[in-house]
Amino acid sequence: MRRIFGRLGTLESRFYLIFTLLFFTTILTMQIISTRFTISSVRNATLENNRLLVDELVEQIDTYVESMESISKAVIEDIDVQAFLMDSDSDSKTILEERFASYIRARDDISAIVLFRQNGGAISGDGTDPAVFSDYRSTEWYMNALLAEGKTVASTAYVQNLVPGNYSWVVSLSTQILSPDDNRTLGVLLVDLKFNRIKELCESLVIGEKGYDFIIDSDGNYVFHPSQQLIYSNLKQEPITDLLPLLSDERPLLKKDGRNYLTARSSRTGWYVVSVSLDSDLVTGWPYVQLMNALIGLVLFLIVGLVTNFITKGITRPLRQLQTVMQSVDTGEFRKAGNLDATDEIQELAREYDLMVGRIGELMEENVREQELKRKSDLKVLQAQINPHFLYNTLDSIIWMGEMDKSDEVVKMTSALSRLFRISISKGRELIPLRDELEHVRSYLTIQEMRYKNKFRYLIDIPENLMDSTILKITLQPLVENAIYHGIRNVNYEGLIEIGGSTENHDLVLTVRDNGEGMDADKLAALLNTNQHGTGIRNVHERIRLYFGPEYGLSYKSNVGKGTLITIRIPDERSILS
Amino acid sequence: MKYLIFFIGSLAVALIIFLALTFSFEPGKTGELHLEEPIVVVVKATVEGQPMNFWTVVTQGINEAAKEFGVDVIITGPDHERQIDRQVNIINRTIEDEPPLIILAASDFYLLAESVSVAAEKGIPVITMDSGVNSTHPISFIATNNVEAGIKAGEEISRLLPEQDTLSIAIVSHIRETATAIEREAGVRQALEDRTIAGTWFCENDEKIAYDNTMEILKNPSIRGIVALNEIVTLGVVIAIEESGASSRVCVVGFDNAPQELAYLEQGILKATVVQRPYNMGYMSIKTAVEYLKGEKVKPIIDTGSVLITAENMFQREYQELLFPVND
Repeated sequence: MRRIFGRLGTLESRFYLIFTLLFFTTILTMQIISTRFTISSVRNATLENNRLLVDELVEQIDTYVESMESISKAVIEDIDVQAFLMDSDSDSKTILEERFASYIRARDDISAIVLFRQNGGAISGDGTDPAVFSDYRSTEWYMNALLAEGKTVASTAYVQNLVPGNYSWVVSLSTQILSPDDNRTLGVLLVDLKFNRIKELCESLVIGEKGYDFIIDSDGNYVFHPSQQLIYSNLKQEPITDLLPLLSDERPLLKKDGRNYLTARSSRTGWYVVSVSLDSDLVTGWPYVQLMNALIGLVLFLIVGLVTNFITKGITRPLRQLQTVMQSVDTGEFRKAGNLDATDEIQELAREYDLMVGRIGELMEENVREQELKRKSDLKVLQAQINPHFLYNTLDSIIWMGEMDKSDEVVKMTSALSRLFRISISKGRELIPLRDELEHVRSYLTIQEMRYKNKFRYLIDIPENLMDSTILKITLQPLVENAIYHGIRNVNYEGLIEIGGSTENHDLVLTVRDNGEGMDADKLAALLNTNQHGTGIRNVHERIRLYFGPEYGLSYKSNVGKGTLITIRIPDERSILS
Repeated sequence: MKYLIFFIGSLAVALIIFLALTFSFEPGKTGELHLEEPIVVVVKATVEGQPMNFWTVVTQGINEAAKEFGVDVIITGPDHERQIDRQVNIINRTIEDEPPLIILAASDFYLLAESVSVAAEKGIPVITMDSGVNSTHPISFIATNNVEAGIKAGEEISRLLPEQDTLSIAIVSHIRETATAIEREAGVRQALEDRTIAGTWFCENDEKIAYDNTMEILKNPSIRGIVALNEIVTLGVVIAIEESGASSRVCVVGFDNAPQELAYLEQGILKATVVQRPYNMGYMSIKTAVEYLKGEKVKPIIDTGSVLITAENMFQREYQELLFPVND
């Protein structure tokens, strides 16, 4: 199951598959049940109808036999018959022969009427010589008549062989005639009915194309069967043993192997007429019913399919919309779902999502702002690193020069200090023109030059066209400070500090070179990594990188005994602006 | 669009399932055979004869089975049994129509063999009935076991005649080259191995020739028994015996059950007759054909049986339909 559904990953196809299977099964089941029900009710209705047919058939047989019995009765009650039976009177014999013959003529379904006298002699309707009626006393019809004591008995169908060479299929009605005085047997009357009549009746009222009727007596012996030869050769069998116990039922019906055996009793003869009908004959329009049902099922299925499609789409469309909106997060774009045409749950989902995205957006903005703040505060921290030693040393120098009444020098140094601080404040701006920065470093150098008299010289050589370039303030001063304290202060010759500038690939490159004692590799590394010695230099490097990006900053070159070269690389703002 | 395809696909599957169920789900009609063309039965003779004429009863059996199994059947054949050429023509024409199956009652054991081979080449199955052909093609042979029937006739005449070497028995046969005649004669001769047989007379299935032959045979005073091998011959023989008043001297055992034969039987001129079951033969031929066409296995030989009928048992209930026509 999981594997099948796994392939159908989308909600839509799963919905569709499940709905389809569910409805298809339901419709099919209902179809089968309803078809079965239809078939079985049609079959039962047909069977009820057929029962009427069988009853009708039995009725006809009864009526027919009854009419024959009335003939028997008429014959028996005939005074001449009574007279003939009492004593042999040749007159009445001729009259009776004539009378019997007229009965036979009147009814073409009577094969023979014969009156047998107990003490010998017989009268027949067709003038047959009574002598030929030889061993009639051993026949079944005769013995049954004696057993019935005056009642008319019907035989099964058989070939009558009273007259040699004349073989006809008959049903015999035989009646014992009793003396009204002493109940003595006077004789037996035989009326042979042509069996054809009953056979025709049986064959005229059959059910369906393959239906047929057969007749059995109460012991299960065949009175008539249309395929009797097959029965006797065992090529065909009827379920007589199943039928016999049912015969006492009010309305016997046996269902076996797709056949229905409807049975009705003929009260006149004691026969049971069994009408056999085939299920396949009873419901003939079955394929048509099936086809109609299939079409109806298909139409239902189509409708259900369309409705399912519609419902599924209704559920999944807003989900898809939501999905598309959510996918925008991948690209860093925080789109909102807004108002969706969807169910409450999905609307709620969208609303929550929008809230979440909104909150994330706010948080991100906040984050950016905080980063900016942090960066700025870092810069401030780094800028504020002007060495206080320098300040009080300078002030000491001013005091000392004041005491020595070197008022010109006091003025020079104080004004330089004043410029130094003015520029370092720069109204709080970060970037200042290179001109100002150079003024700043020049003020610094002026102070230091006065403090370390004749200890060093300096040279600033920067093309005039670079003067308007901007630079982070207080970039050069720490480098110069470093050149003085770690390069020049400890040498016994006159130092030289050169500050140069140029442009290189839209970058502004400034150099600070000294000819001091220089640094070895360890000291250089320490200069970059620790705070101890080159705090100022490190700060410059960090500030440049913070402000302009990691590709900018400082680089060093130093040789012990020869001096140090520090190169500053920053973007040429001027060229960017232009 | 993916879902549209899915939608149409599921509809198509549903349609197929519905239709499959519709046409496979037919209660009560399972296993019925539906043929485009009718099965053709080529019989030996079609002229409407006596009510108990052998082929009339075969036809009744065929019709009963055709109705029961729901197949169409055409019954054809020459007017008379001796018209062998006509039967060959008829079967050849039938083969051209390519029926699903042919049931043949061959008038001649050899002359129809070629037609059966042609049918087999064309893929038309052939079932032989009553009399076979000299061919291995037929899928089944439905007939009275004629040798056994002949033995029954022979044993009966043997029972009727006290064992005396001087007495001899004649056989009157209908046609020389018909399988029924050959086999019945063989059966009779087998039962009468220790008796003297005067010879076999052939009469081209003609009652008059049989009558003449009998008159000829009766000239031999040692003849005490005659076995006649079919209905027409039996009648010729019996009429000759009656006319010559030889019934007390010569016992006749015949075949088949024409109404006149039964009258002679009751009178005692005909001592016994071996009766086949033509109704069953017709029924079984169609039943076997249907089974074969449904793809079931069929037996190569089906014996429909025979009964020895005498004056004593002729009115027994179980033989009445066999002997007497129900339609008056």
